[in-house]
Amino acid sequence: MQLIVENYILFGNGLAWTFGLAVLTLVFATVISLFVGIMSITRNRLLTVAARIYVEVFRDIPLLVSLFFIYFGAPLIGLPLDPFSAAVVTLSLWGGANGAEIVRGGFNAIPEHQRTSAAALGLKPWQIYWYVIAPQALLPIIPPFTGLFTLLVQSTSLAALIGVPELFRMAQIVVERTTIMEGYSPAFTIFGAILVVYYLISAALNALTSRLERAMQHRLKARGAADMGSVRRQAEESV
Amino acid sequence: MTACASNRAVPLIAAEGLTKCFAKHTALRAVSLSVARGEVVAVIGPSGSGKSTLIRCLNGLLVPDAGTIRIDGAPVDMRQQRAWRAVRLRVGMVFQDCSLFPHLSVLQNITLAPVRTGRMRREQAAETARNLLARVQLADKADAYPAQLSGGQLQRVAIVRALAMAPEALLLDEPTSALDPEMIAEVLDVLRTLSREGMTMVIVTHEIGFAREAASRVIFMDQAEIVEQGAADAVLTAPREARTRTFLDKIL
Repeated sequence: MQLIVENYILFGNGLAWTFGLAVLTLVFATVISLFVGIMSITRNRLLTVAARIYVEVFRDIPLLVSLFFIYFGAPLIGLPLDPFSAAVVTLSLWGGANGAEIVRGGFNAIPEHQRTSAAALGLKPWQIYWYVIAPQALLPIIPPFTGLFTLLVQSTSLAALIGVPELFRMAQIVVERTTIMEGYSPAFTIFGAILVVYYLISAALNALTSRLERAMQHRLKARGAADMGSVRRQAEESV
Repeated sequence: MTACASNRAVPLIAAEGLTKCFAKHTALRAVSLSVARGEVVAVIGPSGSGKSTLIRCLNGLLVPDAGTIRIDGAPVDMRQQRAWRAVRLRVGMVFQDCSLFPHLSVLQNITLAPVRTGRMRREQAAETARNLLARVQLADKADAYPAQLSGGQLQRVAIVRALAMAPEALLLDEPTSALDPEMIAEVLDVLRTLSREGMTMVIVTHEIGFAREAASRVIFMDQAEIVEQGAADAVLTAPREARTRTFLDKIL
């Protein structure tokens, strides 16, 4: 406990990096998810194939391997990335690939006759998507999406391995330094404390999710719908 | 209607030589159909005979591979989605699976298209919607959501939604096929009223009784072609073609 208090500046900094990493990643991952997800449901063959390849590549390679590949590979194409940027890029691309699948699942869960009947009313394609398809597709994917957010926040700890001074890296430093200087290893205590911090962040996100989900259930129940489970399951299955 | 009196001779919908193929199978083989203003045309035939394909080709939900369509005498450029949208603003459609938008209330379902296509302002559209709902005995359901309605009510709302665009004609694709028997009557009642009021309709249906009393013309389709057509009584009571007779024997 004393170690944590003594090193509060280190841990505080680490937490700040973690939050910075998380916030940037969540924003970029969301943007990529929507963009690529919508790309993959267009009728343009080129766009859907490009989206498919991107999603498959990032979903089929372990996140850590992608992280190393981008961090060490970027300089080779004349684009040296500092550890933080490399981590943001990798986590965003990985989150975007998984998020795109959720978005695609959400859109695919909308029956074709919704589009057809909107078209029959003389609406333009963008109006059909904006007023009819998107509201139905996007609401049910919010819960699986916040699930992805939790996963992304946890994954920021991987950035320690390429040297981003985030929370987990700081814990490692404190453990190593204490071991060398004091002659004993506080690994269990320090990593235990870190575990609690990650747990609290994720638990807070999850609590937010369930509240959101309950609010949506409530709203849907007001409309007399049985439950949103089916749409959500379909969106989740694609993850 | 008086404004249209001058071109009463020109059919409102005139399709000629419509052909539509899916992969290897031909769903529509050079079908021609002309519908005059105020006419109610019932299309009957076994499933897979091309009825739904025909009706969907009339407003471009399926684009015909060959043939021409004229609306009020003006040819439709079938490669242009814009041209089809113009057709859809004049010719409404009702589907088998009512396909209301579940995230919108009944009123919003009805006013969405009139408002977004620039037909009406929001208040005007809402007023029109309420009037139309009252006509199908659903005035109290304006603020309900589709999941709260029965099949028959949903289908009546779907009809109102199409009518709210003030269409010159309605295409109805088996509007009662997905309904429980006790709900069919309430939907047919609405259609009967519309036909009495002179609404031009093309209706794909299995309700022979309804076709007999409400349709001015009956078309029998089989194997992607129009086999026989004529006055409802003539086709349904004394069909000339053997295929028509076989079909009618089977379902009556």
